[in-house]
Amino acid sequence: MNVLLDATEITKSFSGIRALDDVTLRVAEGERVGLIGPNGAGKTTLFNCILGNLRPDAGSVSLNGVDLGSMPVYRRARMGMGRTFQRIELFGDTTVAEHLLIAERVRRGNGALWKDLLGRGRPTSDEIRRCGEVLDLLGLTDLAEEPIESLSLGQGRLVEVGRALVTGPRLLLLDEPSSGLDRTETDALASTLAEIQREKEFAVLLVEHDVELVAAFTERTYVLDFGHLIADGPTGQMMADARVRNAYLGDLEVGR
Amino acid sequence: MFLAASTGEDLLRAVLQGAPPGSVYALIALGFVLTYKTSGVFNLAFGAQAYVSAAMYFQARTEWGWQVVPALILAVFILAPLIGLVLERLIFRYLSNSSAVAKLVVAIGLTVALPSLFELVTGFSAVAGRTPTGIIPGGSSVFYDPFGIYPISRDELAQMAVAMVGMAALGALFRFSSLGLALRAVVESPRMTELSGINADRVSAFAWALSSLFAGMAGVLIAPRFNTLMAPDFFHLVIVAIAAAAIGRLASLPGALLGGLGLGIFIAIFNTFLPRWTADHGWLRPFQENLTPSMPFVILFGVLVCWPAIRRERRVVDPLGGVDPPPPGLAASTRNRRLTLAIRVFSVAFLCVVGATILLRADVRWLFLVTQAVILAIIYLSITVITGFAGQISLCQGAFAAVGAFTVFQLADRYDLSVLAAALVGAGLAAVVGALLSLPVLRLGGVWLAIATLAFAFFFDAVMVKFSWIGGGGTSLFQGTRVPRPTIGPWDFADDRLFLVLAVVAFTVVSFLVIQLREGTTGRVLHALRGSEMAAESIGISPVRARVTAFAVSAAIAGFGGALLAIHQENVNYQNNFSPTAALFWLVLVVSLSARTIEGAAYSGAAFSLFDSLVLRGEVFRWIFRGWVPGILPISPKWRFVLFGLASIHFSRHPEGLVEYGKRRATRRFNERFDSRERERAIQETSP
Repeated sequence: MNVLLDATEITKSFSGIRALDDVTLRVAEGERVGLIGPNGAGKTTLFNCILGNLRPDAGSVSLNGVDLGSMPVYRRARMGMGRTFQRIELFGDTTVAEHLLIAERVRRGNGALWKDLLGRGRPTSDEIRRCGEVLDLLGLTDLAEEPIESLSLGQGRLVEVGRALVTGPRLLLLDEPSSGLDRTETDALASTLAEIQREKEFAVLLVEHDVELVAAFTERTYVLDFGHLIADGPTGQMMADARVRNAYLGDLEVGR
Repeated sequence: MFLAASTGEDLLRAVLQGAPPGSVYALIALGFVLTYKTSGVFNLAFGAQAYVSAAMYFQARTEWGWQVVPALILAVFILAPLIGLVLERLIFRYLSNSSAVAKLVVAIGLTVALPSLFELVTGFSAVAGRTPTGIIPGGSSVFYDPFGIYPISRDELAQMAVAMVGMAALGALFRFSSLGLALRAVVESPRMTELSGINADRVSAFAWALSSLFAGMAGVLIAPRFNTLMAPDFFHLVIVAIAAAAIGRLASLPGALLGGLGLGIFIAIFNTFLPRWTADHGWLRPFQENLTPSMPFVILFGVLVCWPAIRRERRVVDPLGGVDPPPPGLAASTRNRRLTLAIRVFSVAFLCVVGATILLRADVRWLFLVTQAVILAIIYLSITVITGFAGQISLCQGAFAAVGAFTVFQLADRYDLSVLAAALVGAGLAAVVGALLSLPVLRLGGVWLAIATLAFAFFFDAVMVKFSWIGGGGTSLFQGTRVPRPTIGPWDFADDRLFLVLAVVAFTVVSFLVIQLREGTTGRVLHALRGSEMAAESIGISPVRARVTAFAVSAAIAGFGGALLAIHQENVNYQNNFSPTAALFWLVLVVSLSARTIEGAAYSGAAFSLFDSLVLRGEVFRWIFRGWVPGILPISPKWRFVLFGLASIHFSRHPEGLVEYGKRRATRRFNERFDSRERERAIQETSP
């Protein structure tokens, strides 16, 4: 399979503390990959290095064979990296539909000023239709005209997913999507995500605490501990791996 | 050898010269850090507070003939802390949850309001040429010269001595008293302090009183350096203090102290050595001559842009989203259709009647005022774009407008270009200036961005305007910066009525473009950035590009408006129209009324231009009541500054602005009444 995301030998230190030490992570096209590890393992640091929020001290990140180097966050996004946030980040004072329209509008860059001034910067009916389709996919059609502030956390997270989907990502990075959600909500989110992923066939990198979600959703899993990659392989196998259990899962019963 | 000796001597002289003002800067910087850390307020109003104390002292000493000690007690030890306490108790305590930028706007409003309020209450007015006296007799006439190189006046010695005593007292307070301990704790973390059972509000009130006392003391001490007591001079003082405080990252008191002292000495050294250096580089001379008085702003700008510590402190700040819960949508979106229609019809009819009345009946003065209101409204649309849409506070809109105005003046004067074409060129130039300025300052964000633009505005004022290729140089002092009125085909816009029509057309066109911007991609992108910069970036929005665009568009609008204003007045009138302090008032006005709507800009223009004549002089009552005017009118036009300055307090609680606030309330009331009537009818119909 074609390698989509290739993060090679990433090293990152914060004032002497090695947050990531020589970590290599690959995601193939259309693949669902999990990234787990105990608190402070460096998951978020790795995530930020991939997305461009942090510069790694050493190592390289490439997407579909293009080295991302020191490319800023927004250019990476335009190259096909979508993401959601652990603490949801939404644009206030908009409706759900407007949210997706913003993403749809900027899909091909910020938009030219002269087009705005000539009145050609308004969303076209085609764009509105596309956003409607994404809303349908997420099951948010009923909420389209609701103000964003009135949504529940779970719905907000779906809007985030939708916002990322509208940009047509090839890789969706999910940052602890289950945080703040209860079991039922998490399961609902997982099944919606799985459905959309089957339809759109983008790759997913899931950073997650919730082992059940990882087990249910991903095919392959990387396990980080203290900045080191201690194991990677098919998710089921990882859950049974002694090192992983030792480092992270303890004697938790997983997999049912 | 000779050269080295003289350089060393000069250096020492500069140090001696710079230390006294430096210690005053340090005093203010200390107060500045103290309030910032205890209440999160970036108190620009310290300049105004220093002015009030200095003026009170002057009034008591010179007008009332008081002795030094009672005058000092009144001005510094009673009035100054009192003002601080009142501000804390009545205003800033309620803002503790507002965003830093909202607090900044209130402080700017106070900067505008306090001096005018003081002058109104006490009847004080600055008399040109009456130099304020210091706190010891013979302060400016007795000199000591211990090293034989620089005679230090008694006033300067007093400045240093008082500053030292003040700092020592503060140090002792911090070290040895339990209150000092509480203060230090609140400075570190107000929340933690509250958890350990200390009333942070009380401590913060004390900090306000103390820092205001420092500001008042600094004002009285520095006053003898000025020939005439004027509020803007004291505003400069606070600029240096901000630079000093910024060096210590606004966090450390010793840092602020050393920063203040260091800046005083640095400025003196700079002023000693720069002229010599430029003597060898002739082309730099005009620059140097103007740079000397504006050193504070250059330093502040330099510190902000180059000091890495500040950049690291960057946060995403949204002046309109800082309150909790987030601001609801515009009132128009909650109205029902019938009401919207009724309001539209009524306002169009009203505008037509007003317009027709003005065009047919108004005399020269009213035509002038109304035209000015319309043109100012265009300039205020630039604030709508940068503050209302992009959520950035820019305090240099006056400079952008001046760029437009001076461009028209220069092009018409030198190349005889049509003024309307020149206005468009001016808008373009202003856009370029805005874009260039935004590149270094955008990285700062929030409060620091506002302060950096303020520094730029003062720099422009002190240095750029003096160049003959911008402000017309020396000749303009005599001839003024004259600008002709345009003629298009058969229309000669020297006719005031015709020019009013032109202004209205221009306003309509600019408003239309601004609405297009808001509804288009740029508006959506800016909205997204204001909501969450991280999320905006994650969908491919380039924050820098979007904000540079916003700055450029805003500057272009301001430049165009400024050009029109110059054409209208047939003169640039820089000092009256575009000075940095006037532009501060613009911002306060627009955000207090409504920064997000076209209407807000229109109301602000009307308020700036017409409020004085209509309300303060009572004309509107004269029309309505056929000659009768309430007994208290007419009152001083200074009330305009006081009222709108204080209106900014309302802004901090209702960031949508007065206009939107009023509309929202009216709409809600109407909806409630309307709904309840509908419901009653429904009940009556269903009941048998």
